[in-house]
Amino acid sequence: MSTTDTAKGTAVDRQGFDWITFLSRWGTLISLGLLIVLFSIGRPEVFMTLRNMLNILNQVSILGMIAFGLTICLVVGLFDLSIGAMATFGGYFAARFLAELGAESGIVVALVILAVLALSAVIGMLNGALISYLGISAIVETLAMSFVATGVILGVSGGRTVYSTDIPEAFTIIGQGKIAGIPNPILILLLLGLALWVFLEHTQTGRNMYALGGNREASRLSGISFARHALIAMAISASCAALGGLVAGANLGAGRPQGVGDVYLLNAFVAVFIGASTLKPGKFHIIGTAVGVLLIGVINNGLSVMGVATFWQYIVQGGILILALISASLNTVRRV
Amino acid sequence: MTSTDHPAATGASDPSGEVLTIRGLTKQFPGTLALDAVSFGVRPGEIHALLGENGAGKSTLIKCVCGAYAPTGGEILIDGRPVTMTSPADAAAAGIAVVHQHMNLVPTLSVAENLHLGERLPRRAGLLHWRKVHRRAREVLDRVALDVPTTAIVGDLRPEQHAMISIARAVSADARIVILDEPTNALLPHEVERLFEQMRALATRGHSFLHISHRLSEVFEIADRATVLRDGRHAGTFERADMTHSGIVEAIVGRGGSLAERRGTSHARTGTLMKVRDLSGQRARGISFDLAPGEIVGLAGLPGSGADETMNLLFGRNRPTGGGIEVEGRPVPLRDPADAIAAGIANVPKNRLAEAIFHADSVRANVTLPSLANYLREPVLRLIHRGREDAAAEEVTAKMRVRMAGIGASIDSLSGGNQQKVVLGRWLTTGARIFLLNSPTAAVDVGAKKEIYDLIDELAREGKGIVFASTELEEYALVCDRVFVFAAGRVVGELTGDQVTEPNIMTLAAGGALAA
Repeated sequence: MSTTDTAKGTAVDRQGFDWITFLSRWGTLISLGLLIVLFSIGRPEVFMTLRNMLNILNQVSILGMIAFGLTICLVVGLFDLSIGAMATFGGYFAARFLAELGAESGIVVALVILAVLALSAVIGMLNGALISYLGISAIVETLAMSFVATGVILGVSGGRTVYSTDIPEAFTIIGQGKIAGIPNPILILLLLGLALWVFLEHTQTGRNMYALGGNREASRLSGISFARHALIAMAISASCAALGGLVAGANLGAGRPQGVGDVYLLNAFVAVFIGASTLKPGKFHIIGTAVGVLLIGVINNGLSVMGVATFWQYIVQGGILILALISASLNTVRRV
Repeated sequence: MTSTDHPAATGASDPSGEVLTIRGLTKQFPGTLALDAVSFGVRPGEIHALLGENGAGKSTLIKCVCGAYAPTGGEILIDGRPVTMTSPADAAAAGIAVVHQHMNLVPTLSVAENLHLGERLPRRAGLLHWRKVHRRAREVLDRVALDVPTTAIVGDLRPEQHAMISIARAVSADARIVILDEPTNALLPHEVERLFEQMRALATRGHSFLHISHRLSEVFEIADRATVLRDGRHAGTFERADMTHSGIVEAIVGRGGSLAERRGTSHARTGTLMKVRDLSGQRARGISFDLAPGEIVGLAGLPGSGADETMNLLFGRNRPTGGGIEVEGRPVPLRDPADAIAAGIANVPKNRLAEAIFHADSVRANVTLPSLANYLREPVLRLIHRGREDAAAEEVTAKMRVRMAGIGASIDSLSGGNQQKVVLGRWLTTGARIFLLNSPTAAVDVGAKKEIYDLIDELAREGKGIVFASTELEEYALVCDRVFVFAAGRVVGELTGDQVTEPNIMTLAAGGALAA
């Protein structure tokens, strides 16, 4: 009966400092900072060195590429569970094509890489088409697609790895080389992050994606096509995952038909969800995802540098995700 | 007034009298008196209609009777004995059951499971005794003479069967008074007919119904008596013999209609902006009209009459099954809202929070979303020129007189009225020439309502064509030059100029005819 127009008692009206808002915005960054301080005090001679910092970034660069792609489709409100399989797909087929072609020149390598990324984008668009035109749940559809992709890789490879002897150096350098002392994977990650940040925050397509994720019906009434943006988002997610797997393959100097992407699937989701409770609570965004990825890198590296048993990495990582989700939900619960 | 004004007040102590008596019922909310000393009664085996406009107090009354609200005054008597109900469970124990518009059924479960919802199912040796569950369900269905298998999945059944299952559930809980909250809104005429047959059969066996409906024709068909509420007060209880269209409409809208001022001069110009020809959809058929530049046309009707459906068809939300529209002589496909927008049609949907607002986003993003293409640096990457976007957002919010901390403020920090101005304003920069406004003043305070009326008038003065719909019938007189009244999916009347009054609209919408 009563109208909803009455002034809402926001926290700002109240006296004192708004801890909940503060923590939900800055909580993950504060824990990142605290962990860095903790590990630096624990093993100052090992942890807080330029070498180790680059090491951490290098270790998380592949996870970062995959998580950035996942961020895009979560912005639209779609879960992509095929990113693990797509990473394996990208790594294996790039190596396999290069081995088959016996390519040596940089241009051929570049063309093969582009072809693999384009093929992945097509698979992603197929995901988007099935989800939007047929109204299939994204979780189930991408799960099914990940089985198909895994099967195709196993069938084509016969389970055999493509070894480094068959892979041109122009490819492995992508994963192993450095420019100005910075490993190439880190540079690729930074470029990808910048591009996707601009895409999400400063283009119409990105803005439409946020609108669709926020209120799909209102978006439709504003003339925004869900199908079109679902296709784009799933294509980006699949290509980013393939790029991550490809860089992993180049780093390893081998095209493995299994076990490449699986480790990244869950970590990517953890990173993106930690990111969604950073700075802009409740919103998926690239900077947040970067923080989530760094947090995972620092935890894994720091705990192993401290000599802590591996199982602690899982517990700390899971615990921080739960805390991040709690702080984000505190903020939304209060707003309602 | 042709009614017996307060039958309950005198009849309550009569032992042969009413099964449910409401005496002086009052409900005060902060700032509003939702119910003001309402008295009436329901007799055993009676189908009693409860009528009134939106906000007349019907929902509040039902919530008091079923224990969801505590009344601030008056009393409720069952069989002449006062009862105090503090929860829906109390109401159920007193023999009152409510069947809501949305039926409270689980569509994926079977009929038998739905009939046992919330109860402990019979068991044998620790396991569910399914045969007994179905046997009990069969008995319940037989009592209301509903011939559906107990194993049928509720979602597969027809809407009137849903209503009957809900009623069966109520009756199985020994409810003597069944309150039906607009059960016919989702039903087609022949479905309503079947529901009514079964209600009559139950009434002859002593069950009483309090039937809330917007559709007067149905009330005439089914009700033994009718009670009308207006502005929280009892506006009359009519015996069957005294029920006339004009009498009930007058009770609903008040003598002489609303106090609202009739809209002043029309800004309609010559020419045709939009031509609607034979437009048809699921719940509207053969809709044709022309809209002139600067004209404000209203589409009025009771829920389910086709007025809302026509608004949705015009914007491409629902696909037309026939007919079409032309804007400035060019045919417009209506496959999707994007088609309508491309043709220069704007839309303010009925449910602001669910269909128009992008929560947790800034005012700026909420304003510029449909017109972002105008502020791009280049067409390939579609990079947004932030300065141009800000300028547009500032201009629109200034023109719409949106009160806010700034264009960067969260949309959720604005009042309902200011949010609505943002929703309306977002179309000013798309070049829209036709505005479809569905209940633009819903959940908006009185001051903001006036502002929104003024903004609509301003749009008309600029030569925009406006199609208007509202759940509050008195608004049509305030806003529109011309009104089409809908009933049962068709246009049943056109009102122009001084004819546009609340009683006239109500009479036509309820299936009556205007006095010549």
